[in-house]
Amino acid sequence: MSHVQMVANRIGWPMRAANGDRGPLARYVIALLGGALCLVSLFSMAWGASDASLFAVLGDWFMSETDSRLSVHERIIIYEIRLPRTILGILTGAGLAIAGAVLQGLFRNPLADPGIIGVSAGAAFGAVSVIVWGGTVLAPLTYFLGLFALPVAAFAGALTATMVLYGIATRHGRTSVATMLLAGIALGALAAAFTGLMIFMADDRQLRDVTFWSLGSLAGATWSKIGTAGSIILTSLATMPFLARGLNGFALGESTAGHLGLPVQRVKYTAIITATAATGAAVAVSGGIAFVGIVVPHMLRLLIGPDHRYLLPASALLGAIMLLLADAVSRTIVAPAELPIGIVTATVGAPFFLWILLRKRGIVDL
Amino acid sequence: MISAKRISVRLGRSPILHDVDFAASPGRVTAIAGPNGSGKTTLLRALTGDVPFTGRVEINRRDLASLDAFELASMRAVLPQSANLSFPFTVREIVRLGLVGGRSGAAGGALETIIEEALIRVDLAGFAGRYYQELSGGEQQRVQLARVLCQVWRPVLDGVPRFLFLDEPVSSLDIRHQLVIMNIAREFAEAGGGVVAILHDLNLTAMYADQVAVVHRGRLAAAGEPRTVLTDDLLETVFECRLQVSVAPPSGGMFVLPQSAANSRTT
Repeated sequence: MSHVQMVANRIGWPMRAANGDRGPLARYVIALLGGALCLVSLFSMAWGASDASLFAVLGDWFMSETDSRLSVHERIIIYEIRLPRTILGILTGAGLAIAGAVLQGLFRNPLADPGIIGVSAGAAFGAVSVIVWGGTVLAPLTYFLGLFALPVAAFAGALTATMVLYGIATRHGRTSVATMLLAGIALGALAAAFTGLMIFMADDRQLRDVTFWSLGSLAGATWSKIGTAGSIILTSLATMPFLARGLNGFALGESTAGHLGLPVQRVKYTAIITATAATGAAVAVSGGIAFVGIVVPHMLRLLIGPDHRYLLPASALLGAIMLLLADAVSRTIVAPAELPIGIVTATVGAPFFLWILLRKRGIVDL
Repeated sequence: MISAKRISVRLGRSPILHDVDFAASPGRVTAIAGPNGSGKTTLLRALTGDVPFTGRVEINRRDLASLDAFELASMRAVLPQSANLSFPFTVREIVRLGLVGGRSGAAGGALETIIEEALIRVDLAGFAGRYYQELSGGEQQRVQLARVLCQVWRPVLDGVPRFLFLDEPVSSLDIRHQLVIMNIAREFAEAGGGVVAILHDLNLTAMYADQVAVVHRGRLAAAGEPRTVLTDDLLETVFECRLQVSVAPPSGGMFVLPQSAANSRTT
């Protein structure tokens, strides 16, 4: 028996074990994803317009400065441009995927994605408000929060959108999927209209800032962006163990979650705040990157099942991997120019969304 | 002991329950019966704290309003009428949800074992690896019961009796499984726990319930032992249908009663 087969038998590959326990499989997948993320990160740092070999990058970590095969020029590219970009990609991808998985668990529906139900649009409105009004109406905010003003405003926008949406779509503990999607579209359109109004009022310099920001890109990665967005995204990742248990209970509906002994209100608000904080931070630093939050959790649910104890960490890892890959595509496919990464994720994600919709029509009970 | 005094519930503007008193003791199966729309489920939901009500509900002499979700979950488990899922859970994963809050009472190492045992009890041995959504309605209902049983695995914990609230537990089951489920309720009560079940089947009520509360138009019509409560007159008033208790059809007319099943017990 081959080694692969032995491992496969031990963990119950290829699918749910006969006894329905997918825990061992899920842990195995998480370990694999962890390994894959390390590899993809390394490639992400080695790839680019100026090629540094993977071994040279690896070697540089273990050798003294004088032994390194990297030139000073290459070192600057790698440590000042590609490393922050890679880390920002990991944070953004993990944040968006987690936000998707959490919102889907909360709304008990695989189609809830921050980009689709208006949460990202709310975040975008918050962010654009700071860019345009940062020096005037919102000056106190930018004064007190400094670099945090943009992510905090994005978070506030996302939070408002989610709270309104949850209030509209959930009655007596039951979330209507049709209402959720339709209300999400309406909220998204409203937020986009406000954003448009902001842009209308912007002067030339602000207009340029907004345009660059909204293209959705990891290109502007800096250590200070990582500091602000990273602290927010890492904080929301820290709520995962509490949320995982709660969202599992939510799978059977709010009242059953309560019967099981879970603190329903606390789970609900933690879920909303976590998802919106992660979305807000990701949108603030990288613009609108859609569909990561829907593709990643859905693929993982097919593989390891919907148990959030495994789904949330696995989503964070796979989200990071997907975003790094999308970023690699976006900066090489039309090199030396760069395609906005949002275009790459939407090109893959939108057909995927349609595929889920067609496969599971029953979910949308219209 | 569950005791409810003067329970009234309004949903929106319309009053659903008026001043209903209710009691259920450990060691007994207490049935709630009544026609559709009479307020049975609302009464159950008030007892489990799912709808706002006026009046007072006590569980083991403690005010329902003063207990938090965790404490309540360790004193009672609730089987809802229906549950739908949007994610592909396996049967084992659903049953395991019964163990996320509350206290099953089983030793830590035995948790995975009681999932299997619960499935055997509801006659679903070997179903743990199946997808919940692939099962029939009756099978899904039994999976939910297995989950609920895991939550209060030991009917008495630390000397305190625990309760099962079952909302129409046999509504989509075939006759054999109706008896299987009612026997589980019976055993839970015999082991010292309490069972409160909404039942539509008057024969099963007569067979398994120690006490029955009949709800009619949001009020308690009668309560007590089935033998004294289920009279021809009461049934006619409540169900608006001339029914006769323990009267066989005229000769030649056939009938099948659950009481005749050899493996069931009659009281």
